[in-house]
Amino acid sequence: MSIKGTLLPFSALKFLGKKPHTVRYPYQKKKTAERYRGFHYNDIEECIGCGTCATICQNEAIDMIQIEGIEAKKGDSGLRPRVDNGRCCWCGLCVEMCPTGSLSLTDQYLHTSSDPESYLLVPGVDHPEFAEHLSFVKDDEVRLLDLARVPMKELDPQERVKSFAEVVVGYMQEEARREATRCIDCGICVTACPDHMHIPEYIGAIADADDELALKYIYDNNPMPEMCGKVCTRQCETVCAIGHLGEPIAIRWLKRYATEQFPDPAAVLNPTIAPANGKKVGIVGAGPAGLSAGYYLALRGFDVTIYEALPKAGGMTFAGIPKYRFPMDSLDKQIGYMEKIGVKIKYNTRVGKDITFQEIRKNNDATFIGIGFHVPYKLGISGEDLQNSIQAIEFLRTINLGGNVYVGKKAVVIGGGNVAIDAARVARRLGAEVTILYRRRVQDMPADWEEIEAAEDEGVEIIPQGIPLEIIGEDGKVKAVKYGMAEMVPDPRGGRPRPKLIEGNEHIMETDTIIGAIGQEADYSFLPEDLKEELKIERGRVVVNEFKQTSIPDVFAGGDNVNRTMDAISAIADGVKAVEGITHYLMDE
Amino acid sequence: MDSKLIKEQEIKRNINNAFRSAEVTVVRRRRISVRFRAGILPAFISYLKEYMGFVHLVMISCVDWLEDNQFELVYHLWSYEEHIHAMIKIRLDRDNAQIKSLSSLWPHAETYEREIHEMFGVDFEGHPGLTDLILEDWSDLPPMRRDFDTRAFVAETFEWRKGREDAQDVRQTISARYGETIPEFKKDK
Repeated sequence: MSIKGTLLPFSALKFLGKKPHTVRYPYQKKKTAERYRGFHYNDIEECIGCGTCATICQNEAIDMIQIEGIEAKKGDSGLRPRVDNGRCCWCGLCVEMCPTGSLSLTDQYLHTSSDPESYLLVPGVDHPEFAEHLSFVKDDEVRLLDLARVPMKELDPQERVKSFAEVVVGYMQEEARREATRCIDCGICVTACPDHMHIPEYIGAIADADDELALKYIYDNNPMPEMCGKVCTRQCETVCAIGHLGEPIAIRWLKRYATEQFPDPAAVLNPTIAPANGKKVGIVGAGPAGLSAGYYLALRGFDVTIYEALPKAGGMTFAGIPKYRFPMDSLDKQIGYMEKIGVKIKYNTRVGKDITFQEIRKNNDATFIGIGFHVPYKLGISGEDLQNSIQAIEFLRTINLGGNVYVGKKAVVIGGGNVAIDAARVARRLGAEVTILYRRRVQDMPADWEEIEAAEDEGVEIIPQGIPLEIIGEDGKVKAVKYGMAEMVPDPRGGRPRPKLIEGNEHIMETDTIIGAIGQEADYSFLPEDLKEELKIERGRVVVNEFKQTSIPDVFAGGDNVNRTMDAISAIADGVKAVEGITHYLMDE
Repeated sequence: MDSKLIKEQEIKRNINNAFRSAEVTVVRRRRISVRFRAGILPAFISYLKEYMGFVHLVMISCVDWLEDNQFELVYHLWSYEEHIHAMIKIRLDRDNAQIKSLSSLWPHAETYEREIHEMFGVDFEGHPGLTDLILEDWSDLPPMRRDFDTRAFVAETFEWRKGREDAQDVRQTISARYGETIPEFKKDK
């Protein structure tokens, strides 16, 4: 008998310290496997009700329903998923497709009941305690959504400042298809668009390689899509479902792509123009609001005349937006199409000077005021009237009309909105060193972050928290600007933090020009005295109802002089709404 | 790293000496992948089994390459001697998916082939009984084909249970809330 045979049985002793696999008493619940897929849990606050889980579910086990306490708002459909656990197979596709990452599966799996109703659960509302048991959650390594945007090509900053050539190159066909394919077709973007364009439909058409169909969807409620495709403030992208975990779909660039495919929109759209209905509408101002109202009214058989003070249509999109963002031929193409379908535009006709407002009202059955904000606010500091102290709006208008403005070797722009950035980038292209002086922090700037970044790339310097105090002159010309540094203090009324001047922290910067860009207002001087009283205006804006009708029944209004968002797409939305109002007012007896 | 793949490289050389058209890739240690034409598959596989030591058929799987209009059959073989996993990949025309059965080499290939026949519709020549395996009285497209619409099938086949009528469409809810009318355009101009 060998020694091995004697010792071998004792080797079983090594199991003494180990945990047995058998059930333990008193009964302990066993842990599930890692990433076990049990009942759903949904973070109700994170969820935006995009319905992607319901769309992807191969068993149609998920319904989107209204639940108490969740309101629809911008970027949220107000619906939440409910899972039929009688149909669910716990494949986890809904979790992997969830663009916000709010949906997960838990390690809870026990439920027995003879009542089929009890298998319908609204995750996150029924069994909120499952939040403590998350098991199959969003995984950053394996994801079925494509979170990275197809990059947009741009000109090199060094090249850009040499000319007014368009900075953004635009998507090629393959790039646009690839970007459009990232869209999950939920429609959350529509909640944020002031004009409620049919975004999922046209992106779907682009993905399906049907650009003509895309153009039809786009023109259904936006007659200036190429402009929007280039310069829109794109609130849609800020709420994009994909934007919660990744980069939002490039909705603006896709719209731009679709419109740029067709040199003549009329050939694709082939619009049916209703026979003339005998009603006439006069429009003051050929900006986005006036043009949109004019376009859709003309399609409905109205006789439309637009009165424009400048030699070109487009309003602020023509006079305010620099050509490197929105080239002239692109604008001409859209205006040309509108004139083709019967919109009459009288150029160089300033209402109140070349024609009176009463005359327009007398000659037309309804009028629309879309005059925009073209009069700049004054800075309100001494030295403002010196030579070479100019206003950004006037500066941009003169440059866009082909004129010349002296900017010298060094220019200081005051303000932090898109107008300020535009003025700075234009001055840079005219050869000046440019500094932007802004009262608040860079993150408080109302300008588009892409614009701010582009300006910095082009060599524009930004001095945040600097308040201009005085413009110092010499021989009647601007020589320098004195500014003080500010600290941010909380707003007692709960708004964004306010800048407060720090005593004694003052600087002087030499400069050849000062460009003011702190805001604009409307010029209502064209209104006759009696109408000024009759037309209700509050804080510089015309008061209108849902259909853009003012306190005078036959006068409608829209655009910057009505809405608070003050961008092109809101103006277009106003124009489109006014079309409904005017049709209703003139045609329904 | 490369020095450790001597065994795999040698197998690759041997295969290519016998069958010049076989595209052999060494995937990593202990794993090779071979692309081969469908015509003389049984001869090739029996060569691997008899001479190269790949005596075990692990399984057969099928991939639907809808865009290429092809099916891909993958035969997973294992060599106990060399401890190497070989994947033999065969592309078949999707419209005329036919290949010789391997049931004479391994009896258990029958089951895999029967399942692939049922799920993808690939015809295995010489198979003793290509009858229903899991599905009964199936007249629809083979269900694992990518052009089979699972969703439509589910909607048609299974009854909608009551209590779910309050389901809403997200897109419709949004357009109704904002007074948006989505136009309908004819697809054909």
